[in-house]
Amino acid sequence: MKPLARLSMRLLAFTLLPLIAGTLFIEKHSPFKTGAVAYHLQSPGTQSGVFASPTSVKLVDLIPASLSGETNQDSEPFLAIQTANPQVMVASAFTPNPVSASGNAPVYVSQDGGNSWVLNAIAPVRRMTCDITHAMPTGENHPRGDLHAGTLACAASITLDESESNDVSSSSVMNVQSTRTNVDQPFVRALGISNSDHIYVGLNDFNQPHGHTATIDVSLDGGATYKSFSIEARNTAGQDGPSVRPAVAADNTVYAVFFGWRKFDGKTATSDIVVVRDDAGGAGSNPFQALRDPSDKLPGRIVVKRTAIPWSNSPTLGQERIGSTLSIAVDPNNSSTVYVGWADRGSKGDIYTLHVRRSIDRGLTWSKADLPHTTISNATNIALAVASNGVVGLLYQQLSGSRWVTHIVQSHDGFVTVQDLILASVPADTPVQQFLPYLGDYDYLLSVGNEFRGVFSANNSPDLANFPQGVTYQRAANFSTKTLTDGSGNPVAISIDPFYFSVPVIP
Amino acid sequence: MNSSSSFLAGILWTSLLAPSVAAFPQEQNYQAALAKQSSIIFSGTVSQLGAASFAGVPTSPQTIVVRVDSVLKKPPAVSLKKGDNVTVEMKDLSGFQQATQAMFYTDGWIFGSGVAVKELGHEIIPSGAASAGAAGASERARSEIQKQSSDQELQDRVASADYVVVGRIIEVRPWTVPKSAAAPRHITEHDPDWHEAVLEIQSVLKGTKVKKNKLVVRFPGCIDVAWAQSPKFQKHQQGVFFLKKDAVSGVPMTLLGGSKVDTYTCLKSGDWLPLSDEARVRTLLKN
Repeated sequence: MKPLARLSMRLLAFTLLPLIAGTLFIEKHSPFKTGAVAYHLQSPGTQSGVFASPTSVKLVDLIPASLSGETNQDSEPFLAIQTANPQVMVASAFTPNPVSASGNAPVYVSQDGGNSWVLNAIAPVRRMTCDITHAMPTGENHPRGDLHAGTLACAASITLDESESNDVSSSSVMNVQSTRTNVDQPFVRALGISNSDHIYVGLNDFNQPHGHTATIDVSLDGGATYKSFSIEARNTAGQDGPSVRPAVAADNTVYAVFFGWRKFDGKTATSDIVVVRDDAGGAGSNPFQALRDPSDKLPGRIVVKRTAIPWSNSPTLGQERIGSTLSIAVDPNNSSTVYVGWADRGSKGDIYTLHVRRSIDRGLTWSKADLPHTTISNATNIALAVASNGVVGLLYQQLSGSRWVTHIVQSHDGFVTVQDLILASVPADTPVQQFLPYLGDYDYLLSVGNEFRGVFSANNSPDLANFPQGVTYQRAANFSTKTLTDGSGNPVAISIDPFYFSVPVIP
Repeated sequence: MNSSSSFLAGILWTSLLAPSVAAFPQEQNYQAALAKQSSIIFSGTVSQLGAASFAGVPTSPQTIVVRVDSVLKKPPAVSLKKGDNVTVEMKDLSGFQQATQAMFYTDGWIFGSGVAVKELGHEIIPSGAASAGAAGASERARSEIQKQSSDQELQDRVASADYVVVGRIIEVRPWTVPKSAAAPRHITEHDPDWHEAVLEIQSVLKGTKVKKNKLVVRFPGCIDVAWAQSPKFQKHQQGVFFLKKDAVSGVPMTLLGGSKVDTYTCLKSGDWLPLSDEARVRTLLKN
């Protein structure tokens, strides 16, 4: 039944795709390139490698067939692509160890460019992480490795582990290289340089003095040693916002963006959107001070001053919480061009509104208003990436009516003209949340060659109408009856699953 | 070894493993220990050596492919049934060749289009031992293993608790970390949103007598992923509470009836059980 469902699904998708895509394109583009193409890109944001050019959208439910009986809320997905061999990828989500409460938390591993995924319990946390991000720069040239992860273990206290795996398909648990407590939301980016990996972990570090909690942990030796640098230079409301996002360019330029909380009343954070930059890969003694704001001459360029960020740790946008969605991306071939996206209260009547701004002078000046088509109401989980040809990609999830709609938007002209593809449009009221975040406090987008690759989480009802670009399920699913089964024919309840996608970059 | 372990080991050994060989107590202990540790137990027949049953599993001389004959223990989420091929990373390959039949005590390893497991132990089944009569015994062993695993969890829970009490929640109130606390409150999505529940104790199953028969249980009110598994309490809620002295909130004291008292936590899934489990807990405590 499953192969039949897949076949019918593909046929349907093949038939429907041109029609649907035609209605979704705001501006039409020439057909995507086909055939094998070699890419030698220069940025970890844009991965390099030799592979077949994609001709269509690929969307895969990550839950493997052998876990068809699972009903977990596999939210907050993340993705790492190995620089040397983009066929190898690691994804993660709030997926528990499938067999043991005392076993290690798992990650999803693909070795065939995302067509198939397995779950391997190698994260250095028991059962399930309560935050995990990662990157695979492969400066140390491990064929299935150099996975650097930042994980939070949430037992009695919240503990950060910064760890590494040299082989993500082995049974060896990741090697913890650094650990400490009292931090939030580690966000890992990395760059492979000759024989070592440069690792940048954005995090909210409550150990920093004076409430200057926005922090970048920097390792220039593959994680053997880390140094922590506060990147906040101004007075705060006792702390900064949870999200601190680095972006790394191949020329050793490192940007980071954070929410500089100036006031917090329990429901709203009055926050600056602040960007810092370092031109030497964070190697100096006082890094991340290359940008100063003209208003006070302090390090950190204020992109937007004192915007109102709603903070709610309960279901607010549908079944999702809100308060700290933030993204930054740098052009892999021109580190002067950098994009920042975030969400705030927006205009009256909106719950949560996305915005994207751009700098083309290394963060010195920024667009005064949102870029066209990037003020998006009732949306969250913004993720930006820039492809090697300069095309910017924007992933987000919007609550539209009673559905969560996942968009991937591309533009080659700063969003003046855009291609907007809907990857998923699923019921927002089912399943009922098991915990927060419902879909995630983030999802993720990367560029590799002429693909945007990413991950998001969504309701896993096997209904082709929910996935306009088509979809492949590894787990047992009957698309005719729109039901999941456990592999033995028994019905399985709908839940939240992580989905991997690949979309061709527009010319 | 408790009686259920003996029973389980007896079933496994006499019905499947060695119908013509006596089961020694030492071996029964070994099997019982393995059964407790293992998340997946199955009997099967070796079909390939130095191989894997699906892509994504690294092959080595220690990996073998086993066709499943019978599944005795597995988590509900895992799809595994008779006839499936499983990759087993063996600790000890001695005595194994193609067509060898064995009972595999394992832990999950890689889950993809199939299942790969790591061997914790095994028992080779002598040729001809896996008879038709073994099927019924497998079923009995399966249910016994499930019961035994559940009892073991409960025993561990009792052992690690400072108090095991039967009681009823008579009050629930929010609790905020005082500004004088050593660790100030931070705003994060993982904020537990502490609450306190006043527990009126009906009987103490483990622990010393409680003054005025009341304890304060501090619990996270939030549904963040970090605290999602922690029991959330409501007024009038009754049950069996497995309590530990509060080492999490940072301020392990509170006021109860005007007096300073210790606070307790009940943070793991299963640290609260409904009253219907009281008899089972009492029985385990007696053994």
